[in-house]
Amino acid sequence: MSYQIISIAGLLYIIAMPLYIVYLLTKNNKIGYLATGTLSLGLLAHIYGFIQRFKEMYAINHSFMRSIPITNLYESLVFFVLCLVIGYLFIEWKYRKKSFGVFVSIIAGISIGLTELLGVTKEVQPLVPALKSNWLLAHVTLSFISYAAFAISFITGLLHIIISSESKKSFKYIFSTTLLGLMVFILFSMLIDIATAGNPKAVRIFHSTLGNASAFISILSWITMFVFIIIFWRFGEVIVKILKELKIDANFLEEITYKGIAFGFPIFTIGGLVFGAIWADQAWGRYWGWDPKETWSLITWFVYAFYLHAKFIRGWSGSKTSMVAVFGFIVTLFTYLGVNLFLSGLHSYGSM
Amino acid sequence: MSKLEKWNEKIWNFFASVDLAVALFIVISIGAAIGTIIPQQLEPEPTIRFFLKFLSMNNATKAYEIVSLLDLNNLYHSWWFTFLLFMFALNLIVCSIDRLPNLLKSYKTAPQPLPHEILERMPVKRDIELSNKSSIADKVLDILKKKGFSTNIFQTPDGVQLQAKKWKKTRLAVYLTHLSILIILAGALLGTFFGFRGHMNIVEGTGLDFAISDEGKTIPLNFQIICDKFEVDYYENSAVPKAYRSYLRVLENGQTIKFNGKDTVVVEVNQPFSYRGITFYQASYGFQPAEHAEFRFTYFDESGKEITIKSKFEEKSKIPGKSVTLKVIDFSPALGIDEQGRLFNMTTDMINPAVFVEFDIGGKKTHHWILKKIPETWETPYGKIRFDELWGAQFTGIQIRKDPGVPLIYAGSILLCIGLFISLFLRPINYFVTIHKNRVIFYSPSSKGKVIIEKQLDELINKLKGDKE
Repeated sequence: MSYQIISIAGLLYIIAMPLYIVYLLTKNNKIGYLATGTLSLGLLAHIYGFIQRFKEMYAINHSFMRSIPITNLYESLVFFVLCLVIGYLFIEWKYRKKSFGVFVSIIAGISIGLTELLGVTKEVQPLVPALKSNWLLAHVTLSFISYAAFAISFITGLLHIIISSESKKSFKYIFSTTLLGLMVFILFSMLIDIATAGNPKAVRIFHSTLGNASAFISILSWITMFVFIIIFWRFGEVIVKILKELKIDANFLEEITYKGIAFGFPIFTIGGLVFGAIWADQAWGRYWGWDPKETWSLITWFVYAFYLHAKFIRGWSGSKTSMVAVFGFIVTLFTYLGVNLFLSGLHSYGSM
Repeated sequence: MSKLEKWNEKIWNFFASVDLAVALFIVISIGAAIGTIIPQQLEPEPTIRFFLKFLSMNNATKAYEIVSLLDLNNLYHSWWFTFLLFMFALNLIVCSIDRLPNLLKSYKTAPQPLPHEILERMPVKRDIELSNKSSIADKVLDILKKKGFSTNIFQTPDGVQLQAKKWKKTRLAVYLTHLSILIILAGALLGTFFGFRGHMNIVEGTGLDFAISDEGKTIPLNFQIICDKFEVDYYENSAVPKAYRSYLRVLENGQTIKFNGKDTVVVEVNQPFSYRGITFYQASYGFQPAEHAEFRFTYFDESGKEITIKSKFEEKSKIPGKSVTLKVIDFSPALGIDEQGRLFNMTTDMINPAVFVEFDIGGKKTHHWILKKIPETWETPYGKIRFDELWGAQFTGIQIRKDPGVPLIYAGSILLCIGLFISLFLRPINYFVTIHKNRVIFYSPSSKGKVIIEKQLDELINKLKGDKE
């Protein structure tokens, strides 16, 4: 089955992570090749799994345009990671720099790993009538390609902020450590959700922590969250120091952050907004209806438009713009996952 | 300058500023985000129920008062959100009028050599010395021309200054992008004032000549839409719907309108149809037995001939060629069997339609379940009878729309994509080269994509050196 092959790809991504770390610490070229090789091997397995899944979908739907496996949460996550890894390897090849491979492999590995743990449906499902359209291919693939581009600009942007932060009181430092603390807390919270749920299908995000039925546990979780943030703020210097010692080129990070957005923004506009509007016009009888997914896509679009105007017209540069890029991806993530988890609307295919 | 002119300029500059644009991005985003959280319904009840999750009853009612005062429950059509969008449009127009002429002028003015101090302030600089002194300028010129740059050469007191430009006109694309957004907004405006949206629920076998608008008003149509049949297709052995399909007919002045030579048009999700500028979409459906509802069977007689039997609920119908009557006494749209083996109805969707029929042969009564999807149940003691459908018991929900703004939306969208692609993928590249004796200095004023520009410069330099050595 396709998802078993994709699990293997996820495993290879996780193996690539320590190799990238060792490479960064030793700058040993052989280990560098090994890291890239492992990540590429993971990608090959991933592509093979993706093609297999495509075939499984084709066997049900009998239409090339409508067999692209991005029709539910699991498939979309798998496709997102695929784009992310391809994008990263392209940058690595083009710039001959491996400085943020660690973070890409972590995100790729964790994303695939979470689909294993969460009760996400992995079975191939037949298309519901709403998705039966040739716009599916264009709208959804391009949206996720742009999400992956934004994800890359998020990684490099965050790295850029961290390595350029000076003191504990600087906004950059507080911003980046708070974010790291939150990310780690959310990861732990999800793991607890998984551990406490009776079966994988019953997992509900934040139900065992922040959103617990018992007010005591809920409040305790909120306190824990702030404790996490404070711990990261207090000891974040260590992370900053380690990353600074790796001597990652700040110009390189800033440029990738920009390129990710300069590439992702037009793709997002055409694939996400324009094709989405055309499809909505055909399926629902209106091109724009302020559905939560539509609204949050527009907000995402505004955030990145803000980034471009700040950079080009106002002449912002350095970690100031990187913060906008990081914030942009948080909004993107909400558009992708948050809308389906917390709000209701017409785009319910992406729910679990 | 008079006071009035000063004010005029101040207002103009305010609307032309990027600060206003950036501020509007933020305010519109926050406003739009609020609208996804607070229920967008005009009745007070959903809003109060929403606030009751974290407020007391008293405070929730107060919260609702604030919400309705600021139109937060109808946010996207509120006066202030419309005002923000209007400001956004105004900002785009003024900003373009303010900047475009300068840009156009810059294309017309003849290029000038730049003073040394300006060059030195540029973010990218490469300084090399070549061993060979002869005709360096020509070689640099040659390489740049081969790369597609248009070049200008100047003699200055400091030596030769070379200016190379590529894709300089692509900066116009930004204004195309801005224009396209205005076109889209204009299209939306046109749709709001001259278009309408509505809904019609048509029961199978009936017709309607009006729709109900989203505001609850009646929209008369000059023709009648008749639903001959509505069906839901399911994937085999599953309750997952495959297609929702309405067979519609258009009746105008008592005449059936033909579409592609056919009387009926099929409307599915993602497959609307248009007539007289109005588009009809498959939107919903539901169970609603009408007076004329009837059960339809196919009877296979001994010779294999198929004969249709139509029977209303609890009315006897004769089986052709036999002295047996058939009467439907129970119906289930989705017959299921629970763990104890009892029959029950799962939903009102026609997932697994089944009828309970009573056969009567001279007062002797027998009962049978006949299921549409299970051929084994079609075999009865009185021959093979297939249950086809219960016709006239469902309605199809058709969404209708007329929007004269759509062509503008499409045109604007296409221009938006073109504009964005050009302005982000084909950014202008400028190089300035000063050559003094055998010393060559490359400058570039762009800080975006600095790493790549430096790489390209290195390539140029390598080529230059390669030619020498």
